[in-house]
Amino acid sequence: MAQLFKRWTNKIPIAVVAGVLLLGAGAIGFFAFFGSPRYTDVGYRPMQPLPFSHALHAGDLAMDCRYCHHAIESAAHANLPPTQTCMNCHTLILPQSSRLMPVHESWGTLRPIAWTRVHLLPDYAYFNHSAHLAAGIGCFSCHGNIAGMTVVTQSQPLSMGWCLGCHRHPEPNLRPAAEITSMTWQPDADHARFAAELAGRKKLNPPQDCSGCHR
Amino acid sequence: MMSPDHDLRADMPSRRRFLSLMSASLALAGLSSCRKPVERILPYVKGVEELVPGIPVPYATTMPMGLDPTGLLVSTFDGRPTKIEGLPGHPASLGASDIYMQAAILNLYDPDRSRTVLHAGKTSDWAAFTAGWKEQLPRLQERRGEGLAVLAEASSSPTLHRLQREMTGRFPLMKWVNYDSVSDENILTAARIACGVDARPLALLDHAEVILALDGDIFYSESGHLRHARGFATGRRLETSEAGMNRLYVVEPGMTITGGAADHRLRLEASRIAPWAHSLAAELGDLGLSSFAGFTSSATLDEANQRWLKAAARDLMAHRGRCLLIAGRRQPVELHLLLFALNLELGNLGRTLHFVPMEHALPSSLAGLKGLTEQMAAGRISHLAIFGGNPVYTAPADVDIAGALAKADFSLHLSDRVDETSARTAWHLPQSHFLEEWGDAASVEGQLSPLQPMIAPLFGGRSVIEMAGFLATGEERSGYELVRESWRRLLPVAGFESRWRALLHSGLHDGLAPVPVAPDPGAIMAHLRNTPLLQPGESLPEICFQPSALLDGRWANNAWLQELPDPVTKIAWDNPARISPALARKHGLANGDLVDIKAGDREITLPVWIMPGQADESITLELGYGRTRAGRVGDGVGFDVGSLRLSGGMGFYSGVSLRSAGGRHVIACAQEFDGMVERPLVRETGLKEFQGDPHFARHDSEIAAKNLWKEHTYDAGFQWGMVIDLTACIGCNACTIACQSENNIPVVGKEQVAMGREMHWIRLDRYFKGGEENPEMVYQPVACQHCENAPCEQVCPVAATVHDHEGLNVMAYNRCVGTRYCSNNCPYKARRFNFFDYTGRMDELKKMAQNPDVTVRMRGVMEKCTYCLQRLNLAKNRARLEGRPLVDGEVMTACQQACPTGAISFGNLLDDSSRVAIARAWARSYALLGELNVRPRTHYAAKIRNRNPELS
Repeated sequence: MAQLFKRWTNKIPIAVVAGVLLLGAGAIGFFAFFGSPRYTDVGYRPMQPLPFSHALHAGDLAMDCRYCHHAIESAAHANLPPTQTCMNCHTLILPQSSRLMPVHESWGTLRPIAWTRVHLLPDYAYFNHSAHLAAGIGCFSCHGNIAGMTVVTQSQPLSMGWCLGCHRHPEPNLRPAAEITSMTWQPDADHARFAAELAGRKKLNPPQDCSGCHR
Repeated sequence: MMSPDHDLRADMPSRRRFLSLMSASLALAGLSSCRKPVERILPYVKGVEELVPGIPVPYATTMPMGLDPTGLLVSTFDGRPTKIEGLPGHPASLGASDIYMQAAILNLYDPDRSRTVLHAGKTSDWAAFTAGWKEQLPRLQERRGEGLAVLAEASSSPTLHRLQREMTGRFPLMKWVNYDSVSDENILTAARIACGVDARPLALLDHAEVILALDGDIFYSESGHLRHARGFATGRRLETSEAGMNRLYVVEPGMTITGGAADHRLRLEASRIAPWAHSLAAELGDLGLSSFAGFTSSATLDEANQRWLKAAARDLMAHRGRCLLIAGRRQPVELHLLLFALNLELGNLGRTLHFVPMEHALPSSLAGLKGLTEQMAAGRISHLAIFGGNPVYTAPADVDIAGALAKADFSLHLSDRVDETSARTAWHLPQSHFLEEWGDAASVEGQLSPLQPMIAPLFGGRSVIEMAGFLATGEERSGYELVRESWRRLLPVAGFESRWRALLHSGLHDGLAPVPVAPDPGAIMAHLRNTPLLQPGESLPEICFQPSALLDGRWANNAWLQELPDPVTKIAWDNPARISPALARKHGLANGDLVDIKAGDREITLPVWIMPGQADESITLELGYGRTRAGRVGDGVGFDVGSLRLSGGMGFYSGVSLRSAGGRHVIACAQEFDGMVERPLVRETGLKEFQGDPHFARHDSEIAAKNLWKEHTYDAGFQWGMVIDLTACIGCNACTIACQSENNIPVVGKEQVAMGREMHWIRLDRYFKGGEENPEMVYQPVACQHCENAPCEQVCPVAATVHDHEGLNVMAYNRCVGTRYCSNNCPYKARRFNFFDYTGRMDELKKMAQNPDVTVRMRGVMEKCTYCLQRLNLAKNRARLEGRPLVDGEVMTACQQACPTGAISFGNLLDDSSRVAIARAWARSYALLGELNVRPRTHYAAKIRNRNPELS
């Protein structure tokens, strides 16, 4: 009796196993890449109710972050400025601009401007801006070069693994207090020594326990 | 039967509908959950000065509980009040709080609060009401107020007192009556007889070495209970075994937390207590108190009782000038007078007892209510304004105010909800919550303090002060103006504005304390001689009424207070009649059996609960339940006992009958066992024994076990620990509810409590020791013990519960998959599981009471005490920002801050000078279940009772 299965059929099981493995690896790879905050969150740039440009205000005009976000050194939240802060200048500068209509409308109707949150952490993560600034972590480390953004874009994944990376090795992100809001500051060659000195002086010990951020 | 705010059955869809909903929502959720949620940020338009978003600002104000106001410090998050603490400088709160102060925040956000003016049951508005009243005013002025009456709650507000004067001056023939169904009227009447002026006794327990309390739950429900509790604990700090200690004797009909704290407790029917006090006076007379020589009593005491009385009398005599006799508010005027006389004769005046003049008080008057109701029934009251309260529900059963209300032409009820009274008045007007209004109050100690709003009235309510001002004049003036006008007379004219600001800042008037008045012993003795001897109740059993966690029913719609297990019975969501084991045997009753209690021709049916330590012939009935118009939480919960409460027996009366009604009622009890089953959980001994063997509590918990795994060292940074002093703990429940408010702990409802699924992170274990007839009672608050060798951590399959470097046993809620292995393996049963999504179903308004610094937990997640991790992190960060070390005492857990006796110490164990490290080194500190080698971070300091050698 002739062979029911041809010789080449012996390879089918191997091919199936290899195929499944490949598919599995592909699926894992697919989700690991496309499902990770690095893909899903980085680059998030929602449209805002008015075309406020950080590139103009923080970049060209070189306004300090803290002119508007004044609470970052004292509070957990980085506050968004009240409409009043915009009006400090815009009662005189471009008072008729159509692009500023939402601001004038808010000021006139006393209704707040509804900004869309860009850097959104889950509710169970309690990030504290003041703690990070006091430790010597600059705005740039998490928010990227805001001064170059016309529309604010998320530049870092802000995932737990990413946070822990810095909590384990904060040294590269440490900077002098005077440069905390700078978007152009570059670490010099001696940065390692500076960071070690700062970490020692401030007794930096970034928590890696759950209780550091979750409560 | 009951409907808590998350009644699961009520909104449960049918199975078919559930499945179809689920399949549809799954399809949608599956897709939409891939997308990032879009969150909006709404900054202010105009910045608020000194407000930093996300940083709570504390403001001082006052909680006006009738004549017993307490100072508060309220945290507001971005203008939203979320947490209430006691104001440290206020003499009535001393920084601590009771269950009502903690729970008051939930009433502010009660979705069942009334939102509009109602006229004849139909929606109306304030304009219609004000126009309606202005129409009435000329007529009333013409008649000089004849036919006009105001019925308000008792108040200590100087402003309301002033407005009352103004109104009665403008309408000389009007009636102004104050009424509270739970009031100090008997005490105040006695004080007026003793002093000749309006005054109230002020007991200073911290100066008393021997205290005798007669039928008064002085640590829980009597006026000044926070100050009493603090004073009592101050007298028994016991930091060493040589330290001295006060002694508390309690005589009471039913078990209370004061009775549990007593060193010697005598159970006695309430109607036998006054005659017993006569016997005591006679005994003291025999021992040398000259005024009482030859004093007689009608009481016949058995031998044990006699021995107890003689021992207490000798102890009091041995501590002249350092003792105190005090009685509860439901006891008659004559007993209070007798105790005043005994206190005077024992030399306690000016030492442990003061009489403080009452200048601004509008005290409750039962006779006033009766008189008013009679006039109403006779049709002589045409215009009736009821400010707050709920007299239709709280009035004695023989005062038919509900019927009499129908006779008034113009009736209004200012109330926070459309309750039993509002349903019967022509107008219902929404009342503001005390956190929404301006006002003022004078405490028991005479301390004046302001009320300032934390938030604008949520539903456009108005305060009693504003209404009184408007009704009197027809002018709508704000509470702010009216209160300031009063304070222009209370504060010096020079620099008024700055003094006013200082007043609002500190929450305390820094004026001179009122000069105590001196009672006249002659007047007291004359009164005592002219009144017949108090006779013991002829025919027993008796019924005693006592306020519950809902007080007189005003807190009935507060889910936290409904679910708070009673400290003595441990029952939540119910008020069974408490009967003695002897009475239960006599009638063949078991817990939950329904009985009929009959007094004359009035009868109620309710379940019974057999209460160890209850006087044999005494039945305790709790007020405040069985409401019909409290709201979604409180309606139909428990049984209304008001129909047995008579104007002649507001506190207690004898001569009732009890018989089984057949049938049973399901009762949710949070602790179904009464004893410690031979395990040394609460370690306790007498003072003498403690002095002989100071380390008695540690003998069987010292073990030298070896671990199977590498040990952590915990030798750097902060190592948090807690010590709970069981000698100071009185079991008042304040910690449980403070924790609930701080940590967003959900309410689960009666069915869930009955299944043992309550969520409180601190459970107050109560144990009876000795026979069920007359046991001693001890308390032990148990929360997560933060074991260094935590058994829960070993069994978690997903590492959701792990240790951090500061020794905290932490829960990562997002990792938890809900296996509940940890709870199984926890020897303390300190972990709580979210069987349902309790918070997601919560009304949006109630969510406003949540603490934004604490994660809200979802269904299927374990949770437990975190040592108030949010407070630790914020305090550490604050110290860091200010470039200084964290000092001991700077960070307090919510339970510690609320505790009136200061029983809880918390801090860094590595700092030898910290309070917690010192307390942990006390000889009497021990680890609960320490023999398991779990090494708990929470320790307990053993309970010591100061027993009278004559009685042991």
